[in-house]
Order: sequence, then structure tokens, then C-alpha cells
Amino acid sequence: MSDQSNVGLHRLAVVLSVLTVALLVAGALVTSNEAGDSVPDWPLSFGRWLINSNSFVANVRYEYSHRFIAGIVGATTLLLAIWTFFSERRRWMRSLALCAFAGVVAQAAIGGLRVRFPEYKAMIAIPHALVAQSFFALIIAMAVFTSRSWLLPRSSEPDNANLPLRRLASVTVAAVLIQLVLGAAFRHQAFGIVPHIIGAIAVTVLIALTVFAVWPRHIQEEYLIRPARLVALLLVVQLGLGIAAYFARLASKSDPQPLEPMISLTVAHLVVGALTLATMVVLALRCHQVLIPARKKSAGAVSAAGLRSSGAAV
Amino acid sequence: MMLTLAMLLIAVGCGKKKTGTSEDKSEAGSKSAYVSKGDEGTITGKVSFDGAAPVSKKIDMSQDANCASSSGDKMTDDTQVADGKLANVFVYLKGGPIDSHSFPTPSDAVTLDQQGCRYHPRVIGIQVNQTFRVTNSDNTTHNIHPSPKRNEEWNQMQAQGAPPIEKKFGRPETLIPVKCNQHPWMKANIGVLAHPYFTVSAKDGTYTIKNVPPGSYTLVFWHETLGEQTQQVTVAAKESKTQDITYKSGSTPAATSMQIGPTLVLP
Repeated sequence: MSDQSNVGLHRLAVVLSVLTVALLVAGALVTSNEAGDSVPDWPLSFGRWLINSNSFVANVRYEYSHRFIAGIVGATTLLLAIWTFFSERRRWMRSLALCAFAGVVAQAAIGGLRVRFPEYKAMIAIPHALVAQSFFALIIAMAVFTSRSWLLPRSSEPDNANLPLRRLASVTVAAVLIQLVLGAAFRHQAFGIVPHIIGAIAVTVLIALTVFAVWPRHIQEEYLIRPARLVALLLVVQLGLGIAAYFARLASKSDPQPLEPMISLTVAHLVVGALTLATMVVLALRCHQVLIPARKKSAGAVSAAGLRSSGAAV
Repeated sequence: MMLTLAMLLIAVGCGKKKTGTSEDKSEAGSKSAYVSKGDEGTITGKVSFDGAAPVSKKIDMSQDANCASSSGDKMTDDTQVADGKLANVFVYLKGGPIDSHSFPTPSDAVTLDQQGCRYHPRVIGIQVNQTFRVTNSDNTTHNIHPSPKRNEEWNQMQAQGAPPIEKKFGRPETLIPVKCNQHPWMKANIGVLAHPYFTVSAKDGTYTIKNVPPGSYTLVFWHETLGEQTQQVTVAAKESKTQDITYKSGSTPAATSMQIGPTLVLP
């Protein structure tokens, strides 16, 4: 595996990450505009793969765009999987690539179930959101693992014995993912706002703890500080968007249809949530890479250095 | 992810509603057919609205040029109040002698039309297994999607000039919300009953239920935003009974898909 092929693979992973964000936006617009059932058939759309312009009106625009972008994401994921399989020496990367492809296929199938069984809207839409965010996290991870910065040799540092950052960052990633699912459950009326608010409090505490664990102790380590700084900023933005989106939703209760600014605020809240997840994934992976448990400092420093030179996650 | 998909398939496969099961048929079969004795009465009345009438909002139809350019009213009509009278209240009878009898299914269809990118009428009543016909009088494609809880859900597109869609609802259900997934402001409600004793209040708030067998009943008034109220009514032989009712502004709204208020909703 040459550096050149890694660069190409990394760029493809980044492109796929961007496409996935576009797909998340498209999906959020479908839900916010109540367009999920506007194309009653699947996998075709009105009996065709490419619909004519006469059909691309009203809410069909959102649903069909979502399917179209999903098709591009699926094709790009397949390309990523094939390229990874044939160019990566790291076997676990090939497994990740296969997982990514399986994920996008599963996501398409779940989307099809959603269309075919509208009576189970909430039951299907929530796993659809979970798989979407998990897939996004996976692609972000693949982008990290193929990045030049990941493959550079780095010195290890001891983790905090009292508040291990590796574990804290991992728990925070999980908490953010759960919070995204709670948000989806609220959006699809599975239950009310209370769980999502509780989740927001938990995520705020965990991100704050993570950032404060990084900041003073590893302040010289830009490799960790930059994602920590970014996730702190995203958290502030996300809390503001969440409050704004909720009050916009309250204010629009008597509207005859979904309108602005409720739509844009809700979509922005969802996307910033996804970006928060992505940033935390980056931070967590880097923490696992450069930090070693405090008690294993002497033995761990050697083995971790060996693993990092092969580009494996610690 | 595959596990999630497998679990979803199992859940959907096991939970699918059925319409007109053998249980429904045996329940209908166990009731004797109603035979008129010529002593039926009438229930009539007015539905009033007390308080400031809700202000109608303009509907933004710009996402479909055919809708935006169509003639017809483009103001919301979920709560229609005129001179203190409330329209589109679904009124029906429950209990009493009608619960122990079966009634013939009318042969004529009940029609819901899509015109000016609105449903007409907004509230309709239909009997179990009576033909429900949907027509499209617009120059655009609509998508009709009833979301029942007791009947089978369906979602069908109807292009401009397409033939009418005809369906039936096999179980009583009050009320089934209907929407167009392409034009989200389009909403209607269908009340499905096993008997013919129902109606919808007119623009002047009046309603009449004819040919009511003598007996004691619960008279139910349902409005999509103002909720449900009931009254007890006893109809004597050949009696014409007057039952008025008043909705007040600020009445508890019926559950809607946007049921979120300033108070926290418990999970």
C-alpha cells in the first residue's frame, strides 16, 4: 500500500463523508416537510428510476432528492469498499469497509420498509435515523484512519488515571449517538421532549468534561485540542439551535403545513448534531491513539508506538 | 445494522393490521338485522361556538404552481365559525338499540374530491364496507393517505385525470385522519360507523340525524381541533328531539400529530 493510494482512499472517504452530510440534510428535509410518504412506491419512484420533471413538484422534490442522493452515497460506499479491500493492508480496515457497505444496504432496506409500511412510521423511522448516524460515524472513522495525520508517528502520553480521557471520550460518543436517536424519536412522535432534554443535559456534561479533560492537560497537543475546541463550539451552537427549533415548533403548532423558520432550524439542529458526533468520533479515536492508560506507561509506550507505526487504532 | 433490519422485518410482519377478519364478520353476524317499525324519531340541533373565532391563516401553496394558480379558497378551514356557529362537527350516536342490530351497507359511494388542492368535504361519514370514492379534479397529482388505527392503512397517488380510487373500510373507526403527502396542508377526516346514524354540522352549525330508533343513546360531537363532547339523549317513538351544544374557544384540542405544548409531555 503506497502513500499515493492512501491519499486517494482518504479523499474518497472525505467525499463520502460530505455526501453523507448532504444525505442527512435531505432526510431531515423529508421529515420536516412531512414528505416521507409522498412517493408511495419503492424502490422505484412512480414506477421509474428517474422521474420526469412533471412529477418533481411539491413534497416529491424532498423525497425523491433524498432517494437520489442515497443512491449516490450507496454507489460511493461500494467504491470505497472495493478500493479499501484491494488497497489496504490493515485487515480491520477491510472489515470496516464491508460494514459500511452492509450499513448502506441495510439503510436502503429500512427506508424501503418505511415507504411500504407507513402505519409503522415511528417504529421504522427511528432505526433509520440510528443507522444513518452510525453509518456517518463509521465513514468519519474511516476518513480518520486513512488520514496522513493518523499515520504519522506520534509520542504517547499518559492518560489521566482519575478521569481516563479515552474512556470518557468513548462514552461521550455513545451519549451523543443516543441523544441523536432520542431526537429522532421525538421528531417521529414516539414520545415527548423530556427524554431528549435529559439527553441534552447528559451530553452537555459529558462534552464539557471531555473538553476540560483535554484542555489543560494536553494543551500542547494540537492533535487533541483542535477537535476538542470544535466540539465545544458545536455544543454551544447545538444547544442554541435546539432551543430555537423547539420554540419554533411550538409557535407553528397551528400552521396548516410545515413552514419556515421551523423547517430550517430543525434541519440545522439535526445536522449540527451529526457534526458533533463526527467531531467526537475524531477526538475519541485520537485519544485512543495517543494516550495510554496511566498504569501501563512503561510497557504501553513501546507497544503503542509499534501499533501507531502500522496505522492501527490503539 | 443487519440485526436492526431483521428485527424490523419481524415486527412489521407480526404486527400488520387486518381488515375484515373472521372476528369482525362473526360479530356482525351475531347481530340481528334492524327492522323498521315505523316509529323512528329525529335528533336535530345546532353546534355553537362561544368566544373569539380562531383567525384563519393563509396557506402557502407555492411549492406546486398548479395549486398556487388554482381558484378557490386558500385560507385554513380546520375551525370554521360563522356567526357563532361551528361547522364540520361530526355528530353520531353510540349505544342504545343500534348497538344490538346490524344495518345494510348503502350501495351508493361516499365521495371525497380534491379540488383547488383542498379536500371537499373536510369531514365525512361513511358506513363500514360502504364504497369510499376519491376523485381528483385538479391539474396536479395528489396522494391520498388515510392513517387509520383499526383499519388497513393505504397510501396511493392519483394523477391528474386519473380514474377515481375506490376503497372500503371494514371496521368502525372515529375518526380517520386523511392527508395528501404531496401537499401537506390538505387534510380531511373520515368517520366510519356500523350504522347510518351520523352526520356533519353545516356552515350554520345545524345538524339532523333522521330515522333514529326509539331508545337512549350517547350523542357524540367530534371536532378536529376542539375535541369531543357527549350528551345523553333519549328519543321516544316518532319524537323530534333537539340537542344543541356549545364549544368554547380554548377547548381541549383533539390529539394531532403536532401535540406538543409548552408543558413537558411525559414519555
